[in-house]
Amino acid sequence: MAAKPGSAPVTYSPNLGQKTRPPIFKDNDLDWVRPDGRGFHQCRPAFFRTGAVNSASGSAYAELGSTKVIVSVFGPRESKKAMMYSDTGRLNCNVSYTTFATPVRGQGSDHKEFSSMLHKALEGAIMLETFPKTTVDVFALVLESGGSDLPVVISCASLALADAGIMMYDLVAAVSVVNVFGKNLVIDPVLEEESYQDGSLMLTCMPSRYEVTQLTFTGEWSTPDINEAMQLCLDACNKLGKVMRTCLKEAASGSQE
Amino acid sequence: MVGLSVGEKHFIQGGIAQDLRSDGRKRLTYRPIYVETGVIPQAHGSARVRLGATDVIASVKAELGKPSALQPDKGNIAIYVDCSPTAAPMFEGRGAEELSTELSVALQRCLLGGKSGAGAGIDPTSLVVVEGKVCWDLYIDGLVISSDGNLLDALAAAIKAALSNTGIPKVDVAADATSDEQPEVNISDEEFLQFDTSGIPVIVTLTKVGRHYIVDATSEEESQMSSAVSISVNRKGHICGLTKRGGVGLDPSIILDMISVAKHVSEQLINKLDSEIAAAEASEEES
Repeated sequence: MAAKPGSAPVTYSPNLGQKTRPPIFKDNDLDWVRPDGRGFHQCRPAFFRTGAVNSASGSAYAELGSTKVIVSVFGPRESKKAMMYSDTGRLNCNVSYTTFATPVRGQGSDHKEFSSMLHKALEGAIMLETFPKTTVDVFALVLESGGSDLPVVISCASLALADAGIMMYDLVAAVSVVNVFGKNLVIDPVLEEESYQDGSLMLTCMPSRYEVTQLTFTGEWSTPDINEAMQLCLDACNKLGKVMRTCLKEAASGSQE
Repeated sequence: MVGLSVGEKHFIQGGIAQDLRSDGRKRLTYRPIYVETGVIPQAHGSARVRLGATDVIASVKAELGKPSALQPDKGNIAIYVDCSPTAAPMFEGRGAEELSTELSVALQRCLLGGKSGAGAGIDPTSLVVVEGKVCWDLYIDGLVISSDGNLLDALAAAIKAALSNTGIPKVDVAADATSDEQPEVNISDEEFLQFDTSGIPVIVTLTKVGRHYIVDATSEEESQMSSAVSISVNRKGHICGLTKRGGVGLDPSIILDMISVAKHVSEQLINKLDSEIAAAEASEEES
């Protein structure tokens, strides 16, 4: 499933408009470099591919650095009999980890928090009224956890929904930023950076509508930091959205041939 | 959830648009808040907070435990929320599971700070008794008794009140403990240590109805919301956490505007809550 060595993955890195990039090395952390040698405001190369699972209505595979995620979408299919009548469709999301996804062997069980976050991030983008009385299931599996798992899951899931032909207002792109050592904003953190974070911010948005579908903060943030981090995320989401769109276009033109 | 007629819905939406809500409040006014502390004698600290018809209890229990190997200098804090079926029939059985998890996660995100513990309301390093060996495990439990909207703000206020009511027993460590053995500890029955609760943030939930947003929405008003943003702000005016609910997307500039409104509202809320907590503590000592 990995990217072919010949085809270089499309990279993207956000710029801060007219703002100059802050110096990477501040006075007292001269020896600190990101583990994979990226700049603080540079995302990992993103690789997306649709159609990873044949039996699903739609599916997508995403790989950012060592974070590998597969999402399949089933439906719309009839809601369970026990469910009450609803004139809008239902979205059912589930995120799980494989037992070998984390450095320490995990339980491989469902991740309830991520499942509800995925639901909240996607529901604003899907036109639920187009499939009344039915349910769309979104199942995400984290094959390898390499940091920023949830944002990758969300981006990948919106691509899988698009692949399944579910009507959406726009693709949903998600990016996270962490605040390391209280002063450096680091975008798209890897696992190691996530464990050292003082605070984190995750933003999911629909790039062409410029609308935020979900936003979470943890840790203490001052207003200038919030502004900078949000701008950084929005910019990165925009670029990630373009990468996702290209992937969909490629898939569509490939199937026509 | 709330059965409203078309007329009632229009009345609520129209009132919010004209800055005069169904119960006579303005958009950014809280309902009167009542705090009672020490309601559960079995716990180390407890508080009951009423916000209109919303009624919640928070209790704090402390147990001696072992710090995790990854963070030997930090105690553990767990926050759980339970929605009782007494509040609403739909909370029966597994019905409350989704809401309980959502509230617990939101509170953990808002009160416990980042992974490294920075920005946390309670300093987890203050819970350590012997580094790497013994620490206090703090269990914070919230219970929803009656629900009339704005549960998250009420729960956060109750937790803040319960923590300022909490006394952790003083622990004496036997001095002759060897380095690799579990040290012997002596828990005092008389001396208690109090937390510094000034850094604990409050949560302000801004509910967007139509083009405007309101604080402290009742359940009728919540049924009309398009989205809600819960922002936790501490005394310094720093944002300690943020969660968004509701499916409708928001423009980034609106979110930034909401953050600045929340900061402004939180100043009054913190002062009001602190004076209520102080009054509750005083009346508890009298009785």
